[in-house]
Amino acid sequence: MTALPSSDVNVPEAPEGLSAGTGSCLDIAGLSKRFGGVYAVRDVSLRCDAGEILGLIGPNGAGKSTLINLITGTLRPDTGQVTMDGRVMNGLTVPECARAGIGRTFQNIRLFANLDVRQNVEVAHTTASRHREGGPELHEIDDLLSRMGLLPLADRLATTLPYGLQRRLEIARALALAPSYLLLDEPAAGMNDAESEQLVDLIQKIRDDFGCGVLVIEHDLRFIRRVCERVAVLHMGEILTIGSPEAVLNDPRVIEVYIGAASEDEAA
Amino acid sequence: MNTIAFAERTRGSRPFLDARLAGNLRGSLWLVLIAAAIGLFVMAFGSPFIIRLTATAFINLIAVVGLQIFMGNSNVVNIGHAGFMALGAYFTAIFATPVMIKASMIPNAPFGLAGVEVGALYAFLISVALTSLIGLLTGLVLVRLAGIAATILTISILVIVQGVLVTWTDLFRGAQAFFGIPKVVGLGLIIVATAAVLVVARMFKGSRLGVQLRASATDPLAAEAMGVDVKRLRLIAWVLGSAVVGCAGALYALYAGTINARAFYFHTAFLTLAMAIVGGMRSVTGAMVGVALLTVLLELIRILEGGITVLGIAFPEMLGLSGLMLGVIIVAVMCFRSDGFMGGHEIEEVFAMLRRRLVAGKREG
Repeated sequence: MTALPSSDVNVPEAPEGLSAGTGSCLDIAGLSKRFGGVYAVRDVSLRCDAGEILGLIGPNGAGKSTLINLITGTLRPDTGQVTMDGRVMNGLTVPECARAGIGRTFQNIRLFANLDVRQNVEVAHTTASRHREGGPELHEIDDLLSRMGLLPLADRLATTLPYGLQRRLEIARALALAPSYLLLDEPAAGMNDAESEQLVDLIQKIRDDFGCGVLVIEHDLRFIRRVCERVAVLHMGEILTIGSPEAVLNDPRVIEVYIGAASEDEAA
Repeated sequence: MNTIAFAERTRGSRPFLDARLAGNLRGSLWLVLIAAAIGLFVMAFGSPFIIRLTATAFINLIAVVGLQIFMGNSNVVNIGHAGFMALGAYFTAIFATPVMIKASMIPNAPFGLAGVEVGALYAFLISVALTSLIGLLTGLVLVRLAGIAATILTISILVIVQGVLVTWTDLFRGAQAFFGIPKVVGLGLIIVATAAVLVVARMFKGSRLGVQLRASATDPLAAEAMGVDVKRLRLIAWVLGSAVVGCAGALYALYAGTINARAFYFHTAFLTLAMAIVGGMRSVTGAMVGVALLTVLLELIRILEGGITVLGIAFPEMLGLSGLMLGVIIVAVMCFRSDGFMGGHEIEEVFAMLRRRLVAGKREG
């Protein structure tokens, strides 16, 4: 099963200064990873254009985390390759991937507990400012904090923030890398409706302000429907389908995978 | 109100790098002022015994600061630093000791070192350079390990260094004391060196690299995902720490004139480690507080150890009490302030917190 070419679906206009479709994309081609004899990810092809918000959904164990680890350099793929804006990313270490322009957040928040809010952002900012050639412009740390509404809390210890703001700080920290592509790993986990509503606006604002492609991994289908322009469904390590949120979420195969999984969960 | 004013100030003037440098310099200045004040006070008014005690305490402080640079910022427990102290002391001894004395002490020294004699300053510099080099070589292995494995490697380094010193009798005189080192260093020079080392450690901690390393100490995975090259930073801190610890050993050799390999083994390793832990190893101020607290406490206990009479009650001799108390102190600190006395804060941060609390108190009142 291969990905549909992105021209088939409704790709939104990229923000100014960025041209989608002329090689500015995070291109995942035929990626496979086996653990022992089991494929965690099998022949996955996917592309996230610059300035696009792409959703990645799938039941537990579908291979979402493995895919993220392959993109960020944490794991080495057995076959296939990841290309970012024409640059082959295979073989780069985690810090090299980050400096090359892939920012990420974590499923379970991983802030630097012993540092304050500003220093958390500063860590990413300094690595990016030192090693960057080209790529999006770096924002000043305080500018970044104020855009994220964190400036008044800049001197607080990161882990003393309320949960929602810790998630926000994690995103701010990833943005300090001036990433070309931002990977959000279950950003709405543990949030109430009002908070995830705010998060939808925030993610869209980030895309508009920073012009980066955003890959959102989520369980929450309502959230995905509201925030994403395209959605890819991962099932048993393979791409089941890619398309607009409406098309994908009404796809009988997707419903089967999800409802099936849900009823199994209920039974268990 | 306050936060808005603050926001405008920082955004308006955009002095981020300068603000950092100024903050680090201010922090360093506090440390230097306090250390120098204590040192100069003792130099002016102290008895020879107190002066000797203070000189040893300052040398310990340099070693503890060296320990803090690596351990405090990277959160990897290091027990090998006493080995680097030994190396610093012995390299200095070998280069600085007069040829005449060496002719009787180590006549068969390899590489013609029996015939080499340089000024104390050059011996000091050569010694620190060689210690750093060994720090680099061991560091290349060390940074590949994490957590407890890294700590075990540091213990191995200590044991290997001790083994080499004791068995390579042609060069290090084995278990016998190495004497005749020119005693050119007094408390004054030790204070100067301590001040320099305090500045180095404080500047490193507050530098971009220091902040990155401290980030990786809490979460190496997240740090790498933010582009931090954790291994490289650990290596830098390890080599810098080794150099500073080697500096402590070199100063000790030039101060005492006689050194013995056994003085740089587990006892020293644990004493300095205890100082770092008690004071709070995450801050340079903590290193200073730890050294001061333990030096004074252990000295008081030593008086008690000899048996004293208080209010007509004669206490018996209690040999070994200081060793016991060292354990008790560490347990007590771990129970009540697991992050050490300073809890990872620097002195200027404590002042700032007090000021904030005062202001808040006034507003309420």
